[in-house]
Amino acid sequence: MIRVVINGKACTAEKGESLLSVARRKGIDIPAFCYEETLAPYGACRMCLVEVVKGAQEGITTACTLAAAEGLEVLTQTSEIVSLRRALIELYLAQAPRSEAIRALAQRYGIQKTRFARKVRPDDPLQNRCILCGLCVRICHDVMGAGAINYIGRGHFTEINTPFYEESAVCMGCGACARVCPTQAIAFEDIVQTRTMKSWSGTRVPLHACSKCGRHFAPAPFVNYARQKLAPDLQQTPLRLCPDCRSREIARKAVLLSTGAAVAD
Amino acid sequence: MDAAQLDTIVERYPGATGRVLGVLEQVQRRAGYLPRDALEYLARKLAMPLSELYSIATFYSFFTLEALGEHVVTVCMGTACHVNGAPRIVERLERLLDVGAGETTGDGKFQLTTADHAFSLTSARCFGACSMAPVLRIDNRIFGYVTPDKIPAILRQFDWEGNHHRNY
Amino acid sequence: MGLATCGIAAGADRVYAALESAIRKQEHNIQLRRVGCIGYCREEPLVNIHLPGKPLVILHRVTEADTGRILHAAATGDVPRDLALCRINAWDPIVGDKLVFGTGFEDIPAYETTPYFAPQQKIVLRSAGLINPEDIDEYFAVGGYTALHKAITEMSPADVVHEVIISGLRGRGGAGFPTGLKWNFTKEEQSLRKYIICNADEGDPGAYMNRNEMESDPHMILEGMLIGAYAIGAREGVIYVRAEYPLAIERLTAAISQAQRHGLLGENIFGTDFSFSVTIAGGAGAFVCGEETALIASIEGQTGRPRPRPPFPAQKGLWGMPTNINNVETWSNIPVIIHRGGKWFSGIGVPENSGTKVFSLVGEVECVGLAEVPLGTSIRTLVFDIGNGGLRGKAIKAVQTGGPSGGCIPASLFDTPLDYAHLTEVGSIMGSGGVVVMGTETSMVDTARFFIGFTDEESCGKCVPCREGLKHMLMILDKILAGRASVADIEILEELSGLIRKTSLCGLGQTAPNPVLTTLRYFRNEYEALVERSRSS
Ligand SMILES: Cc1cc2nc3c(=O)[nH]c(=O)nc-3n(C[C@H](O)[C@H](O)[C@H](O)COP(=O)(O)O)c2cc1C
Ligand code: SF4
Ligand code: FES
Ligand code: FES
Repeated sequence: MIRVVINGKACTAEKGESLLSVARRKGIDIPAFCYEETLAPYGACRMCLVEVVKGAQEGITTACTLAAAEGLEVLTQTSEIVSLRRALIELYLAQAPRSEAIRALAQRYGIQKTRFARKVRPDDPLQNRCILCGLCVRICHDVMGAGAINYIGRGHFTEINTPFYEESAVCMGCGACARVCPTQAIAFEDIVQTRTMKSWSGTRVPLHACSKCGRHFAPAPFVNYARQKLAPDLQQTPLRLCPDCRSREIARKAVLLSTGAAVAD
Repeated sequence: MDAAQLDTIVERYPGATGRVLGVLEQVQRRAGYLPRDALEYLARKLAMPLSELYSIATFYSFFTLEALGEHVVTVCMGTACHVNGAPRIVERLERLLDVGAGETTGDGKFQLTTADHAFSLTSARCFGACSMAPVLRIDNRIFGYVTPDKIPAILRQFDWEGNHHRNY
Repeated sequence: MGLATCGIAAGADRVYAALESAIRKQEHNIQLRRVGCIGYCREEPLVNIHLPGKPLVILHRVTEADTGRILHAAATGDVPRDLALCRINAWDPIVGDKLVFGTGFEDIPAYETTPYFAPQQKIVLRSAGLINPEDIDEYFAVGGYTALHKAITEMSPADVVHEVIISGLRGRGGAGFPTGLKWNFTKEEQSLRKYIICNADEGDPGAYMNRNEMESDPHMILEGMLIGAYAIGAREGVIYVRAEYPLAIERLTAAISQAQRHGLLGENIFGTDFSFSVTIAGGAGAFVCGEETALIASIEGQTGRPRPRPPFPAQKGLWGMPTNINNVETWSNIPVIIHRGGKWFSGIGVPENSGTKVFSLVGEVECVGLAEVPLGTSIRTLVFDIGNGGLRGKAIKAVQTGGPSGGCIPASLFDTPLDYAHLTEVGSIMGSGGVVVMGTETSMVDTARFFIGFTDEESCGKCVPCREGLKHMLMILDKILAGRASVADIEILEELSGLIRKTSLCGLGQTAPNPVLTTLRYFRNEYEALVERSRSS
């Protein structure tokens, strides 16, 4: 354990830990869009700017990519940082005018409207909310191992979608992308037996039916994937049941166990 | 491009260093673009998600996903060429080849192909022949000190038959 | 016959073919050889003639029609005077013995008195245009690979690094980081595998010195890399070359296989336990891939999106291993430093800026070409003495140095020395050495727009200030040029410039506003005139 100083407050940290994560643990608010504990720091959204006043590289840098080191001292809310963040928020407001998350942040920073031309595309699969933080691409590739979506193009023409803008053959429909998206840009819906990833070129994924009640509750490829990933003794029952039936099942087993009756499947 | 041809290309890169871009570059040079089935085959062969190859294909400007014309006319849009009049070269080429009139702004990226697929007009950023600015390249030949008036003669070397519809 | 890309574009290949067939037909006792480019690109195609006991004569603007005359004169021990550019009596290849060509032809101007060459000092380009880049024996003849031999057999890796440190050599790829110190970082890393990379992406439009170095003297680069690999402890090297340079790739590939055949690449070089191999990796048209972390990603087969540093490549580079990256011209300087010593090298140029730099002098200047001058030479010398002023006598308004990361320097500041600190002070950078001359008719606002258009298009799109900020700068510049802007727009432009510089992830964004900032600094009146126009209309 080492000690770092954030806004004059001493904090303990693991050596090399992301400073953003240290600050969050301490309840110090640093806005951040492209950071997720399970993923390697990416440094793209530039919202987590902090000023290093004592450390290896002094000056303004991003907290997510800043490694905690003994004696490191940073400030997170200097007037310069706040004004840079405000300007970045204006850029985001123009890029993702439909994002509530961005608008909420703008409000907190006292920004009424952006001075920049707003980009609105009526047919945007990401609902004019995407800020290209890359979390969906990274979670899909690095964590889920699917690699169904990726960046397309470069510069301000960059988009995120499936290759050739066609239904993906490898998307498991797990929805991890939608869960990590900081601006709720990714849309999908479940209708009866099918999940449709509306943002990903309408990729359709069959839903798995609960072996007890028959309700379609989770994408089938994802259920299979999860079963392969789990320990062999857990592979069978639990995931074939929908969450409701599963908890009922667990409760039933607990009752039977406590009453000493034989557990029947 | 069939699987055997693609296999031969991949075999030329025994190590991982520089392989992916190297293979795609060879495919682009041979086929004139990156055909979809080639990308799908290579994704399996190189054990990469197709989305990643597609991302690469759209990131680097050397790659195209659509077939280009038989001859590719590339105008340098680098600094020296810009200062020495590249926008006027593009303008004239657009009219002579009868493509995308006025669509290109005289700088920036563009890629236009004639209706008969004989020519594609595209831009590049510096061939390193800046001393002869403005410069254009047709297929593998570089032409320096180009002026708008010299272009018809240059195009004729590549079986261009002139623009019959209009008088320029 | 000079046969580099620029010569070929000027018709050198046709002249070569004509000479070849004429020589074959007439059974002249004349040997025809290919050389690279001596750098006087305006005068291409160039032919060097060497008759026994006579100086080497450079003929310029040679056409196919001249070949008969040239051969006829040569057969009678003469050269056509109207084609003669200059003569070279003797030449110092620095690493090898002095080459003495001969005397005579006093009426032809001497190389040393030719205005284009006189202020130049050739170290990197010492053999460019004089030796055949496709023949390793010619490189041996000018002392090639002796520095490598010296390094491996007489010096320890630490000695080599020390020599490079005292030479004061700084990186020629942009930032000017001291090369010896950089080598030391990677040298000190404990790792079983280390890499060195030669950055031959040469993305700055208007700069083409690296192309010429590769096309004219590829072995010099390999030798520099070999010495570096020995010092750093790397067994593998990669040369990353942009796709637009097929001839450079061809010549490097040939040079690598020749060096392999001579045992200069491979296992146990010079019978020692030092082994080294080189791979060429190609770029595919992305300026940002000149940035080192993007370059590494590109070699690894990914899109070229930079990642934050630290970790620096010296700690975690190619395939996660310690990696040292230098520019082509940086590597090119290594053999002379080892051969003549760091102290000798540090005596060239000015303090903190030792050695020479090759500049590509292009745009609206009379004598376009590649000029190698000691660092600290003034812009005026480069543009007026070497370049002979504006094209067809036009007045010059400014030069743009450093490519899209650099800035525009007005003619009133042409006494500025070309060195790292002074160029930064006037708001520009050395960059790779591109110098684009602009005449008085050039609009500086349009020039700024050109560069922002470039960086906007080449931005990788990963971080928001560069991706979105440059787009809005471009829109504002278009508005100004169209005469629809107000003074407030200029202020927004300035604010965005500051934001992008301070908050971008990589060097592309951090330097992209420079063309706007320098034109605002020196040519604000041009912006204001356009804004004024919109107010009155
Ligand atoms: C956007 C960008 C483009 C660059 N392009 C090049 C290039 O084309 N060639 C080059 O040598 N360095 C380029 N650099 C600099 C390299 O990142 C790196 O600093 C350099 O290769 C180090 O070599 P040196 O120390 O020998 O200069 C670029 C940097 C940035 C940020
Ligand atoms: S500064 Fe530009 S090029 Fe560099 S990472 Fe950011 S978006 Fe990409
Ligand atoms: S969270 Fe640090 S840059 Fe996005
Ligand atoms: S700027 Fe056009 S060839 Fe370099």
